[in-house]
Amino acid sequence: MSNEHAVRTERLWKIYPQDPRPVEAVRGIDLTVSRGEFVAMAGPSGSGKTTMLNLVGGLTRPTRGKVWIESEEISALSDRRLANLRMHRIGFVFQSYNLLPVLSALENAEFTLLLQGVPARERRERVRELFREIGLEGLEDRRPPKLSGGQQQRVAVARAVLGEPALVLADEPTANLDSHTAEALLDVMERLNRTKGTTFVFSTHDPRVMERARRLIRLVDGRIESDHEASG
Amino acid sequence: MARRDNDIWWRMAWRNLWRNRRRTAITASALSFGFVAAVLMIALMDGMLEQLVSNGTRVITGQVQIHADDYRPERSMHDTMGGREGLDLAALVGAAGSVTGVTGVAPRAYGGGLISSGDETAGAVLMGIDPRREEGVGRFGASFVVGGMPGPGEIAIGNAMAGTIGAAPGEEVVVVAPAADGSMGNELFTVSGVFRLGMGGFDDAYVLVDLGSLQDLMAMDRSRIHEVAISVDRTDQADLVAARVEEAVEGLADGLVVEPWSVFHEQLYFMTSMMGAANGIIAMIIFGMAIFGVANTMLLATFERRREFAVARSLGTSGRSIVRIVVCEGLFLGLVSLGAGALLAAPVVVYFHEFPLDLSSFIGTYSFMGSAMQPLLTVEYSWDGPLVSAVALVGTGVASALYPAWRAIRVPPADALASR
Ligand SMILES: Nc1ncnc2c1ncn2[C@@H]1O[C@H](COP(=O)(O)OP(=O)(O)OP(=O)(O)O)[C@@H](O)[C@H]1O
Ligand SMILES: [Mg+2]
Repeated sequence: MSNEHAVRTERLWKIYPQDPRPVEAVRGIDLTVSRGEFVAMAGPSGSGKTTMLNLVGGLTRPTRGKVWIESEEISALSDRRLANLRMHRIGFVFQSYNLLPVLSALENAEFTLLLQGVPARERRERVRELFREIGLEGLEDRRPPKLSGGQQQRVAVARAVLGEPALVLADEPTANLDSHTAEALLDVMERLNRTKGTTFVFSTHDPRVMERARRLIRLVDGRIESDHEASG
Repeated sequence: MARRDNDIWWRMAWRNLWRNRRRTAITASALSFGFVAAVLMIALMDGMLEQLVSNGTRVITGQVQIHADDYRPERSMHDTMGGREGLDLAALVGAAGSVTGVTGVAPRAYGGGLISSGDETAGAVLMGIDPRREEGVGRFGASFVVGGMPGPGEIAIGNAMAGTIGAAPGEEVVVVAPAADGSMGNELFTVSGVFRLGMGGFDDAYVLVDLGSLQDLMAMDRSRIHEVAISVDRTDQADLVAARVEEAVEGLADGLVVEPWSVFHEQLYFMTSMMGAANGIIAMIIFGMAIFGVANTMLLATFERRREFAVARSLGTSGRSIVRIVVCEGLFLGLVSLGAGALLAAPVVVYFHEFPLDLSSFIGTYSFMGSAMQPLLTVEYSWDGPLVSAVALVGTGVASALYPAWRAIRVPPADALASR
């Protein structure tokens, strides 16, 4: 595995101005994730997991500190450049699936490819191929409301990985899934991690998910409490 | 770089529009009714303007007139067309009459004088006319209470004048008038009839005399006249016809001016222009109010979808594309409303065109700036009103979406994703 990092943060702070006193959601986190890692971030509610993922994905700007995606320092980028960076290099999976309800499963999955300007035929081919792999075959034309939670989350994962990002950020991707479906989804993510070398960073509460991570970071009160290589 | 598939934004906009069918139906209905109201209002207003102009010009003046260039505004009897020599009247009338859109041509001479019958005397405007040609332009011929148009040596007077001087058809009156050579002409005329136009300023002041007889009385050659009044088949085309007539009569005499009613009937033109402008303002108010209503609804819709916009943006969608989705939705809303509005407006306009609203049981006839108004709401067919309304309607849809679109991209994606 390459030594080059996929993500690096340096004394990263996020303070939300809040009454009666500001909330320090992330407090000076230094983190390096190498390419191809499969990392879980765990921690109690409010420990800063979501904030951390948003900072790394450029959805929120840090109060202090820096974030690198590969060799690019992103806190100085314009909104436009950030959007571009997300489109090409970062995939997101959200806790509540967050598919676009007016688009079919296939249209949702190909969304990033479309933004990237991949021609229609190639898009369809790539979506169909991945749908076959992750058990979504035949559901291409369904709209999200007509899909089960597990199916929706698999579409969301497909959407996140199809653009072949270097990094996939997933915020509690299994939180709304039963354990069987959660395991199946993890299988999919693991396989993509292995075969494509995609780096995965996800947050979770779920002990079974933590077990399958190869590296487990524990956050408490916006700080890294522990950081272990796990069995995986 | 490969071509971007822009149709995804259109697709999303179109599908977004139908997500809340009831809301879209209500909004579209409101817009459609606004469209129908605007179209109908403009059509009624056009009908009213047409009536105003038609009444204002069909009674006496016609819609186009030819004069010597220095005749108006003094209306001196010396300023005849073609100067002292006059012109070839038959050629002039023939040339003007052959122009497309012209329905009647009436040559006229004017003078001022006194009319006496027995002991009574009244001042009058003497209007020398060709009775047969006059029928094609003015409404004198159709306005006789008794008798008819004057032949040679005859005179027709208004009913008010007839009352003043106490003259009746068959009786003789004396007309005294200053002549072009500086002398005083005076002549006996037989009253051929009494007319009633129902308009103040005419029935008590105008008298009609046979053109040749008036020219004789005023010591003018038969080739000398002051005015040619022309009627056209469509009053709104008067400017165009005037230009054509000008071309046709060019070279028949020096210094001829051909003017449409909008020039020689300034008051009427001013009035109709004002009404047209008021029309536009009312239409703007209708759609202006609609913009706020629709914008409010769209704001609600985009607020409900802020998570989706945030998701799209976190995947790398540009703010521009988000704006495009929202604005396209407004555009589609406008187009859908236009479709429904057109289907609704067509039968309504046809109905009012076929069956004008007769308000005569509420309001009597009214004479207004030389224009006798009927209490009849007529609708004129025209493309202008519907076209302007359609543009305003679709514009309303798009304009309503601008602020919501701006709001949709204002919220940072992370905040929108966090909010439940
Ligand atoms: N937009 C915001 N404005 C103000 N405070 C916020 C905002 N987002 C998060 N916070 C606060 O920051 C802290 C960290 O929140 P965060 O959502 O990152 O925690 P988390 O670890 O993801 O929690 P959970 O497991 O419940 O999802 C919390 O105290 C939260 O209330
Ligand atoms: Mg969270």
